Amino acid sequence: MPDGASPEPARMTRKRKTNFRPWLRALHRDVGYFAVGLTIVYATSGLAVNHLKDWDPNFRQVNRTHQLALPLPSDDDAAAKNALRALGVHEQPREVYRASPTQLDVVFDQRTYHVDTTSGVVHEEGQAARPLLRVANWLHLNRGKRAWTYVADSYAVFLLFLALSGLFMIPGRKGLLGRGALVALLGAAVPILYVVLSGGP
Amino acid sequence: MHKPNSELERAIARRHFIQTAGAGTVVLALGGVYVLSDALTREARGQTREDGRPRLPPGQRVIQALRPMGGEPGDPSPSAYRLRIHGAVEAPFELTFAELLALPQTELALDVHCVTSWSVLGAKFKGVRVADLAARAKPKASARYVIFEAAHGYTSNISLRDALKPHVLVAHQLDGAPLPRAHGAPVRAIASDFYFWKSAKWLTGIRFSDHDEPGYWETRGYSNHADPWKEERYA
Repeated sequence: MPDGASPEPARMTRKRKTNFRPWLRALHRDVGYFAVGLTIVYATSGLAVNHLKDWDPNFRQVNRTHQLALPLPSDDDAAAKNALRALGVHEQPREVYRASPTQLDVVFDQRTYHVDTTSGVVHEEGQAARPLLRVANWLHLNRGKRAWTYVADSYAVFLLFLALSGLFMIPGRKGLLGRGALVALLGAAVPILYVVLSGGP
Repeated sequence: MHKPNSELERAIARRHFIQTAGAGTVVLALGGVYVLSDALTREARGQTREDGRPRLPPGQRVIQALRPMGGEPGDPSPSAYRLRIHGAVEAPFELTFAELLALPQTELALDVHCVTSWSVLGAKFKGVRVADLAARAKPKASARYVIFEAAHGYTSNISLRDALKPHVLVAHQLDGAPLPRAHGAPVRAIASDFYFWKSAKWLTGIRFSDHDEPGYWETRGYSNHADPWKEERYA
């Protein structure tokens, strides 16, 4: 092409114009994928612990009353064995403790039977862990400490990146120059309105 | 899918979007402020404590029984239980559960107020006064604060003056029954004039200190003093 050189300057101009959006989208996508697991942990646990006053997100409560036939043996171990047999409990108790002249405590890992040795009334109380939620809450509240602090800090930085990169992913009227700005402002207005209406800290 | 093809249709679509989004924002913001009232709460609001303060602190709602509020449980074993009284005292000592039960016991009906906004009125706690334990340990003249130490490193702090008030207890019974595990069995602190996180569950020690040491929640954004009547929930 003898005159094939003529389109070159235009192509070179286009090349100089760097488009950061494909990179941003790719990074946003991959950080998003990476954050899925942590987001599920934090979001689920967040919902759970946000309603602490309505339920115990870590444990199910056990609270039952039983009646034993009297009399019970005067020996504590024998009385405990007798009570457990009557209640259909076959595990070995962790301990049998005489808390008072009328109260015998039969202690297991997850529950305790408080036996009133004069009336035969047994109050069973304890708590059973909610396996997955308890672990999620433990992580969320950083009860484990140590290395998890770094994981949680990194996750917070990822979330900041996802939020900020999300602002610039779409160009034009659906992006920050139009609808995007409006929705972002409405989102920011939620905490601002809440602070104003509630009087703040 | 239908696409708006005139300027008018686009304007209507935009207006509809703005109206819907705006309404959603206001509902979200107001939803957090709305508080449901009830009969028990209304009744308590009409009552006054002996010290002249309203029975129900502001922002609280009355429920009928203590709610388990979580926390990492301690060892529930009564025979393994030890309560350490130590720190800035002349005579530190340790008590087993049986020794604690053998001390003079006090049973009090107390109102407790959780920072999450529920209150229980007249919960009956039985145990030993912290003042009695302090009398035996003899705090040094420099002691100003009491740190409640609990399982897994949990702590809470109150001033020595507050800790020595007659209704501050080391409790092992609730409403006539052994303290349930969810509420800190076998022993918890009760300092009911403060938000309830100050009343450490699974109590293992009472440490007297010459300086203040903000505890678990106090170092996580909650108030150091935690007076419910001043709504000192957060720092």
